[in-house]
Amino acid sequence: MMFIHDTVCISPQQSYLQETLFSGSNEIKSPVKNILYAIEPSYEMIPPGILRRMGRAVRLGIGAALPLTKKEGKPFDGIIIGTSMGGMEDCVKFLNQIIEYNEGTLTPTNFVQSTPNAIAGQLGLMTKNNHYNITHVHRGFSFENALLDVDMLLNDDKNRTYLVGAADEISSYNYNIERLAGGYKTEPLTGNNLFNSLSPGTIAGEGAAMFIINGDAPKAKAAIKAVHIFQTENEEELRKQIQHFMQAHIPQSASCLLLSGENADSRYQHYYHCCESLMGTSSSIARFKHLSGEYPTASSFAVWLAAEILDRQQLPAFCVKKQVNNAIESVLVYNNYKGIQHSLVLLQKA
Amino acid sequence: MSRIVVTGMGVISSIGNSVEENRSSLKNAVCGISKIDENFPSRFAGVLPFAQIHTSTENLQKQLNAYEPGVTRTSLLALHAFEEAITSSRLTAAQITSYDTALIGASTVGGICLTDQLYADANAATGGSEYLQSYDGASVNMYLQKRFGVGGIINTINTACSSSANAIMYGARLIKSGRAKRAIVGGVDCIAKFTLNGFNSLFILSDEICRPFDAGRKGLNLGEAAAFLILEREEDCTEKNILAVLSGYANSNDAYHPSSLSDDGDGPYLSMSQALHIANLTAKDISFVNAHGTATENNDEVESKAMLRVFNKPPAFASTKSNIGHTLGAAGAIEAVYSILNIMHQEVYPALNFSNPIPSTGLIPVQAYSAMPVQHVMSNSFGFAGNCSSLIFSRA
Repeated sequence: MMFIHDTVCISPQQSYLQETLFSGSNEIKSPVKNILYAIEPSYEMIPPGILRRMGRAVRLGIGAALPLTKKEGKPFDGIIIGTSMGGMEDCVKFLNQIIEYNEGTLTPTNFVQSTPNAIAGQLGLMTKNNHYNITHVHRGFSFENALLDVDMLLNDDKNRTYLVGAADEISSYNYNIERLAGGYKTEPLTGNNLFNSLSPGTIAGEGAAMFIINGDAPKAKAAIKAVHIFQTENEEELRKQIQHFMQAHIPQSASCLLLSGENADSRYQHYYHCCESLMGTSSSIARFKHLSGEYPTASSFAVWLAAEILDRQQLPAFCVKKQVNNAIESVLVYNNYKGIQHSLVLLQKA
Repeated sequence: MSRIVVTGMGVISSIGNSVEENRSSLKNAVCGISKIDENFPSRFAGVLPFAQIHTSTENLQKQLNAYEPGVTRTSLLALHAFEEAITSSRLTAAQITSYDTALIGASTVGGICLTDQLYADANAATGGSEYLQSYDGASVNMYLQKRFGVGGIINTINTACSSSANAIMYGARLIKSGRAKRAIVGGVDCIAKFTLNGFNSLFILSDEICRPFDAGRKGLNLGEAAAFLILEREEDCTEKNILAVLSGYANSNDAYHPSSLSDDGDGPYLSMSQALHIANLTAKDISFVNAHGTATENNDEVESKAMLRVFNKPPAFASTKSNIGHTLGAAGAIEAVYSILNIMHQEVYPALNFSNPIPSTGLIPVQAYSAMPVQHVMSNSFGFAGNCSSLIFSRA
C-alpha cells in the first residue's frame, strides 16, 4: 500500500497549491480551439536564469515538484517521473535549428532540454539528490509505471519517501502531429460541454501532478491500493481484466467512486461504458477530461483529483456524471489512452 | 528469493547481426566504426565516423517480414534482437502472451531516426506521413507488444545513455516483486540526424575513431544497435541453459550538471557501490568491468576516478565503445550481453585504439584477448542529467 502525503498540481484549472477548484469561487475553464492550456504559476522557486532556459514540460514538472521538495526539507529517497515525450517543443526547436542552420554550429540548450529525463534529472540537480532517479516514457502508461515503480520500492523498504509524478506539455508541434493523426475533434466546442460532443477525437490538454508518497498511513491524504495496466483493443478482454481487478481489490463497489477517463471520443466510448456497467448501479461516477484535456499522463491529474476527493470527502458537482450517495470510501480511476492502453488505479481513504 | 537469471539474448550491432557474430568480432578486435555512408541524409555523411549497421532499412524489413505501416528502423533493429533473444531462450508463444511476461524496453531516439520526416509532420498543415504515431520511444515497444502479443506489464524507460541498464533493472524488480514471472528487457537506438547534431552541439563527437581511456581521446562516436535479454526466476528454469545470474543493480544520480559528470564521480561511485551491496559482493569479487568509457574527456577521467574510489586497485576493465561506438539507449543492454559473454566463455576482449593512460589516474584497459576466470562482471552506464547505473552479472 502506498500513501499520498502531499500533492501539487498544475493543470488547465485552478489546481496549484491552495487556489484549487475546490475553493468554490473558481470557475471551470473551457477549452479554446479545443485546447486546454495549463494555468502556469509564477514559478517563484525557480531562479529566473534557469527558468528562461526551461522547456514547457520541464517548467510544468519542476514547478509542481519544487514546493514538495521544499516542504519535505530533506532529499527524497528517489525521484520517479512519467512523461510521454518530455520537451517536444524543444525537440522541434532543435530540429528547426538543424534545418535552418544546415547542421552548422547549434546551441545545445534545446537538445538538452528535449530529453525526457530532463525533468527528473534537473530536479535531482536542483535539489542535490543523489538517489534513484528515473523517467518512464511509455506513452499512456508513463505515470502508471512510475506508480508501479514506487510500489515496488516501498515493498522493499516501507520507511522511504519518494517524489512521484508526471508532466506533459502541449507544444504546437505535438499538437500538430496529433491533429494530423486524427486525435482531436474537428468541430470547435463552445464552453465546457465536452461530453455533449461525442464524435471522433477529443480535446488537447497538458499538466503536471506531483506526489509525496511513502509507506506511512498516519496523516496521509489518501492511499493507493492497486495499480494495473494492460493493452487490448478487445472489449471482452477489457471486461475480463476489470472484473478480475474488482474481485481482487474492490469488495464494496457501492462506496467506490468511478473516476472515468471518458474523453468524448466516440471511437473509445464503448470501453468506458463497459467499465461503468461493471461498477454496478450503486456506484457514483465522475469524469475529469473536460478539466484536464487529453494527454498521455492525464491519469496523473485524475489521481490528484481522486486524492483530493477522498481527503476532503467532497465530490464536486463539476465532475459528477452520476451521484448515488455521498460516502466515498474509495475511487477507481479507469483511463484509456487511444483505445489500446488501459489503466486502473484504485485509491482509498487513508 | 529465487535468483534472477538470464536465459536468452539477442544483439544486432555494427560488428554483427547475432550474439555469435558479435562475440567473434570482439575476440578478433573488429572495429565497427567508419565514416558514415554517403547516402545518410546529413552534411556529416562521409565526414564523421559512426558505428553503423550496414543493412538498409528496406532489407531489414524484408529479412524480418515487417511491413506494418509506420514501422521505423529503430523498431526493426529492436525486432531483430528481440527475435534472437526469444529464440535463444526457447520462449513459447504461450509464454510470451502470458499475463506474467513483461516487456521493458528503452530508446532515446525512438522514431526520431526519421528526423526530416518529423520536421515535415510537425509543420504540415494537412496530410501527414504514416509515421505520425511512431516518433516517441514507446512506439518501439508498442510495436513489439502488438506483433508478439506480449501479455504482461509493458514499459519504456528513457534516462538517456543509461536507459537500457535501467530497463534491465526494472524488469528484474518486476520479477522480484512477483508482478512478472519473466521479463524481456533491452534497448535500441539508431543513427539520427537529431542526436548527431545534438551531440555535435555539445562538442563531444570525435572526428576520429574513439579511444576510450586514452590520454589523447577526442570524444565519442555514435553507434546504432539493439539488444534484448530474457530474465527469469532460477526456479522456473530447471530445464533451461542459464547464461548468467543478474546479481546486482543500482541507479543513482550525480546531481552535478545536465551533460557532464562531477569531478570525483559521486554518481558513478554510488551506483557501483550500491550494486555491489545489492549483490552482496565486495569490490575484490569483481573480475572485470565493462566500463561506460565513452571516450569523452569528462566521462573517462571521472569514471576512472570513481573506479579507483570503489576498487582501490581496479580489476581488468575495458570499454566496448571502441568496437561499437556509443549506442545510447541500447548501450546498457548490449554491454550486458557482452558482460554475459565474458562469463559464459571465461574470456575478456581487448579495448581498441588505446596507447597512453590518462595522467591523473594511470588506468590501463585490457588490450589483448585473453582467457581468464570471470566470476562477476560489472557493467556501467552513465547518462545525461547525471543518471548513473551499474549492473552486476555473475557466473551461474
